[in-house]
Amino acid sequence: MAHLTLRDVRKTYGHMEVLHGIDLDIPSGEFVVFVGPSGCGKSTLLRSIAGLEEISSGEFRLDGRLMNRVAPARRGIAMVFQSYALYPHMTVFDNMAFGLKIAGLPRREIRARIERAAESLQLAPYLDRFPKALSGGQRQRVAIGRAIVRDPKVFLFDEPLSNLDAALRVATRIEIARLKQAMPGTTMIYVTHDQVEAMTLADRIVVMNGGSIEQVGTPLELYRTPANLFVARFIGSPAMNVIGAESLGGTAVALDGGGITSAAAPLARGARVQFGIRPEDLVPAPAAGAPFRGRIALVEQLGEVQMVHVELDGTGAPLVAKLAGTLELAAGDAIALGHAPEAAHLFGADGDRLRPAARSAA
Amino acid sequence: MTATAEHAAEDGMGPAPRAPWAVIGRAMLQALLVAMAVLVLYPLAWMALNGFRSNTEIFNDPFALPQHWSFAAYAAAWQNGVSQFVASSLLVTGVSIVTTVFISAWAAYGLTRTRIPGQPLVTGFILGGMMLSPTVALVPLVRMMQDFGLYNTHWALILLYTAFRVPFTTFLIRAYMLDLPRDLDEAARMDGASEGQIFRRIILPLCRPILVSCVILHILFAWNEYLFAMIFTNSPSTQTLPVGLTSLMSKHGTDFAQVFAAMTISALPIVIVFFLTQRYFVRGLTEGIGK
Repeated sequence: MAHLTLRDVRKTYGHMEVLHGIDLDIPSGEFVVFVGPSGCGKSTLLRSIAGLEEISSGEFRLDGRLMNRVAPARRGIAMVFQSYALYPHMTVFDNMAFGLKIAGLPRREIRARIERAAESLQLAPYLDRFPKALSGGQRQRVAIGRAIVRDPKVFLFDEPLSNLDAALRVATRIEIARLKQAMPGTTMIYVTHDQVEAMTLADRIVVMNGGSIEQVGTPLELYRTPANLFVARFIGSPAMNVIGAESLGGTAVALDGGGITSAAAPLARGARVQFGIRPEDLVPAPAAGAPFRGRIALVEQLGEVQMVHVELDGTGAPLVAKLAGTLELAAGDAIALGHAPEAAHLFGADGDRLRPAARSAA
Repeated sequence: MTATAEHAAEDGMGPAPRAPWAVIGRAMLQALLVAMAVLVLYPLAWMALNGFRSNTEIFNDPFALPQHWSFAAYAAAWQNGVSQFVASSLLVTGVSIVTTVFISAWAAYGLTRTRIPGQPLVTGFILGGMMLSPTVALVPLVRMMQDFGLYNTHWALILLYTAFRVPFTTFLIRAYMLDLPRDLDEAARMDGASEGQIFRRIILPLCRPILVSCVILHILFAWNEYLFAMIFTNSPSTQTLPVGLTSLMSKHGTDFAQVFAAMTISALPIVIVFFLTQRYFVRGLTEGIGK
C-alpha cells in the first residue's frame, strides 16, 4: 500500500522551470495516468517520483515519508522504461535477478520470485535467452517482470507501449490492465501521450500542459466535463469542435457564422463564449433551423463510422462530425448538423469551463 | 534455366554482363591489394625465415630459403637475453594495460555518465593530454623518476606508459560510452546499483569491443615503445624488447641470424594477439569513433 503526495513540486533546469508547482494526491492502489502533449512535463514528473530527477522545490511524500532525498532504489518504486532498458549482456533471468542480487536476497528466493513472475508473464521458456533474441512484446514483458520481482509499492510506466506496433500495443495494454487487476494494492503511475491508453487503463487521469496540471479526474469526468478548452480538445478523438459564439440570453447561443443553437444552461445575454461540441455528439438535422450548415470537404470512411470534415457556411470554419458509417455522404455534398442541448460545452474567453454540461449524448 | 531465371530474363531483369572497364578496374584493385600484402608480409617472412639459417648462409645469399631448418639461432637469442627482455616487455605491457584501461574507462564513465561541475573543462584537460609531446617532457621526467627512486625500474615505464596513454584511451572509450543508452544506468539505479556497480556490472561489459581495441592499441604501443624504454632503463634486467634488441645487435653485430630470430620472437606475440582479436579491434574502433 502506498499513498503518494506531491506538494508544490517544482523542477528547474538552470533558469527554465519545467514543473510549475504540482499538487497531487494518489491514493494506494490507484492506477493514475499522466497524459499530455510532448514537453508538458509528464515524464519529468514521473522521473522525479522515481528519484531519477531531483525535485528543485516542494515535497514528495510516500506514505507520509518525505522522499525528496531518498535514493531511487530505497523508495520501493519500480519503473518500466520506454526503451525497456534491458541489460543486453544478461539473460532474461539475470535481467530480472539483477536488482534482487544487489539487494542481497538468497539465491533460492530470487529463483522463486523470478519463476513466479515468468509464469504470470508467459516468459518461462525464455529465461535463458538474451534480450536480442526476443520480440518487442517479449522484451516489454521482461521489463515488466524485472519490476514485478522487486515487489514494489509503486509501479511507474514511462510510455511503455510506444515502441510496439499497433496490434501488440493493444495486446500489451490488456496485459497491463490484467496486471493491475492482479495487484490491486499496488499504486501504478503510467505516462503516455496516447489518450486511448489513458482512457482505457486509468482509474484517474492527470492531464498536463506546459508543466502544470490542467485537470485531474476519472476518464469519463474528463470526457464529459472538461475543465477547460485544453482538456476538451485533448481528450476525445477526433478532438472537440470549438467555435466562437455569443449568448442571446437564456440558453440560446449565436454561433460565429450565423447558426443558432442552445446550451444546457442559461447564460447572460451578450456574453462572449467558446462553444464546444464533440464530433460524436453531432447528428444529421433538417437544413431549416440546423445550427451547423456547410459543405463536406472530406469523408474518412472507417466502416462502422465515418469522419465527416465540413466547411461551415459563412465563416468556412472546419467542423468534424463522427456519423454512422451507413450514411451515404460524399465530398461536395451540402450537410446540416444538430445536437442535443446537453451535449454542448461552453467555455469563457479565458478557456475555462463556464457551466458543467449534462451527460454527453455519446 | 530455372523458373525464376526465365522470368528474370523475360522481364529483362537478368544479371547484366559486366562492363569491360569494371572487370579491368576490379583486377587492378585486386593486384594493388596483393602487392600491398606482399609489401607488408615479405619483410616479415624474410626476417622469420632468416632466423632458421646461419650467419654465413645469410651473407652468401640473403634472399634464399633456409636449406636446413635449424632452431639454433632462436635458442641462442633466447639465451642471450631475449628471454629477459620478453619478460620485461610482458610485465610492463601487461601492468600498463590494466592501469591504462581501468583508469581510462573509469574517467570516461565519469565524463559521460555523471554530473560534475565544469565537465567540459575536465574533458578538455584530460583529452588535451594527447597533445603533450613525450620528447618535450623527457628532462623533467628523468629528474622526477630519479627523485622517486623509480629510474631503471619497470615501474618507471609502467607509470609513463599509463600517463601518456590515458588521454587517448579515454578519448576512445568516452566516444563509445556516449552512445550507450542512459536508460540502462537509470534502470540499474532503480535496481539499487551503486555507481561502482553500474560501472562494473553494466557499462564495462557493454564496452567490451572498445576495451579490446584499447588493449590491442596499448599492446602495439607499449610492446614497441623505444624512447622511454631507452632513456628510463639501462640494465638488461629492466630493458624491454625494443631496447634489448639494439643491445643484441651491438654485442652480436655480425650474427644476423640471432638478431632476426630475436626480432621474430619479439614480433610474434603482437601478431598472435592481433589475429585473435581483430574482430573486436575493427568493430570497437568503428563503433567507438563513428556513429
